[in-house]
Amino acid sequence: MTAADCLLEVEGVTFGYDREAVLRDVNLRIHPRDFLAIIGPNGGGKTTLLRVILGLEQPWRGTVRWHRPPGAGRVGYVPQFSTFDRNFPLALEDAVLMGRIGRRGLLRRYNREDRKAVAAMLERLKLTSMARAPIADLSGGQMQRALIGRALVAEPDILFLDEPTSSVDAETRTVFTELLTELNRRIPIVVVTHDVTGVAAQVKQIACVNRKLYYHGDGQLTNEQLAEAYGCPVELIAHGVPHRVLSEHPHHHH
Amino acid sequence: MPTVCPTVSFPSTPITTIERMSDLSLLFSYEFVQNAIAAGLLASVLSGVVGTFVVVKRLVFIAGGISHAAFAGLGICYYLGMNPLIGAFVVAVLAALLLAWLGEGGAGRSQDAFIGILWAAGMAVGIVFIHLTPGYAPNLMAYLFGDILTVTRTDVYLLAVLVGAVLLVMALFYKELVAVSFDETFAQVQGTPVRFFVALLLVLVALSVILLIQVVGIVLLIALFTLPPVIALMLALRSFATVLLAAVLLAMLMTTGGLAGSYWLDLPSGPSIVLFGIAIGAVVRGVVWLRQRPRG
Repeated sequence: MTAADCLLEVEGVTFGYDREAVLRDVNLRIHPRDFLAIIGPNGGGKTTLLRVILGLEQPWRGTVRWHRPPGAGRVGYVPQFSTFDRNFPLALEDAVLMGRIGRRGLLRRYNREDRKAVAAMLERLKLTSMARAPIADLSGGQMQRALIGRALVAEPDILFLDEPTSSVDAETRTVFTELLTELNRRIPIVVVTHDVTGVAAQVKQIACVNRKLYYHGDGQLTNEQLAEAYGCPVELIAHGVPHRVLSEHPHHHH
Repeated sequence: MPTVCPTVSFPSTPITTIERMSDLSLLFSYEFVQNAIAAGLLASVLSGVVGTFVVVKRLVFIAGGISHAAFAGLGICYYLGMNPLIGAFVVAVLAALLLAWLGEGGAGRSQDAFIGILWAAGMAVGIVFIHLTPGYAPNLMAYLFGDILTVTRTDVYLLAVLVGAVLLVMALFYKELVAVSFDETFAQVQGTPVRFFVALLLVLVALSVILLIQVVGIVLLIALFTLPPVIALMLALRSFATVLLAAVLLAMLMTTGGLAGSYWLDLPSGPSIVLFGIAIGAVVRGVVWLRQRPRG
């Protein structure tokens, strides 16, 4: 890959919340057809790196450069569960409708086109029967699908997911796998996760973050590289089909 | 001793409930009663609408800080011989902007503690200026605990304009205010100016505070921000808009019922409104509990 077809470039980024840096001199490139998993131990800075990329935090040093900036409201973002109040009084379809906020812009109401996009998305995610239900009534898997629906109704140019596999039922997993594979034919997908097995079959690149970015590429991630990132020996386990990014390993169940 | 919290205690001769019911029309013919009811209903609209945002976005402590800080402006204007509500208005808005800035991590992420300081400092400054003002200041006690019966016709018109302005801003930015209340991070990623809308929400809280000071006073107004939305949320309503509407209706019930209670039971109006609201909440909670109980 050359710099020319690189979509997003993170260069020499150092960032922290208080005095101590959470990320040190991180470099990362995202290309138009990437399916990148950002993995690493808890507290290692995965989510922080995502926040810097999304422009939610300003790096102390270094830059985040979009070579082809996405249009207004065209950044798909699926947050972790804990970032909002499940008891917020909101119908499922209204929560998904919020995905259109960036496209609609200020001083304009959601219109018929927005509602049609939401209805189509709910159909696609097998959530139509729950459209008017308050989000508090959704199961974990349904909520997960609603969140990805909210990100996708914006028809994003790039999709970021933060820990998407934390509470997934079988139906959600199937819908997810299909949807992400299809999306990845058009747009790059970046998944932040501590558990790469949930998306292992689709991941093309892995970046391993623990304060520094230890590994990033399409090749084989070795146990040694993981051990360096995590600071202790770690076993690579793939519960699904071991993909080329994961080295061959005898099958274990924990 | 001057009346601290005036009550609707007329006519002074003891009369029966039946007689009181029949003189309701007489009661409504008094202009100050009309004004009180109009002010109560106007305040209810804001308490329901703004209060719902306060509750779901967890701004209750911030709203308390803003209202108590406003007492400083009230005291200063009283000392200067100006309309105290102008001072309360200016200081409440300044406090709202300061808290919005602190919430963004200004001055080292100390918003919570700072709200407490602002709370006490506002009261201290207000009390000092009242103390410095020559003569006795009975009206200021009314600002603390509410004195809806002293609201004038001019006040009602001013309040109506204020309510109209707040509702207009809310309607224009409804989509953004709900999105920012639900999930700030997502809204920001979509390009919504989140900082601006959080600050706007706090300024709307400040404007509402001025209105509610007249009805239930600084100390009790937090009840009008919290009780109607909390009761509306108990009803397990599906959408944000229905919760807003239910909260407004509940607030109207609370203020008119509280005023009626203050008349019949000869109680101060502010506390009467608050206690009536708590009674409504207890009844609704009880009904919800009974309906949710497994049968058989």
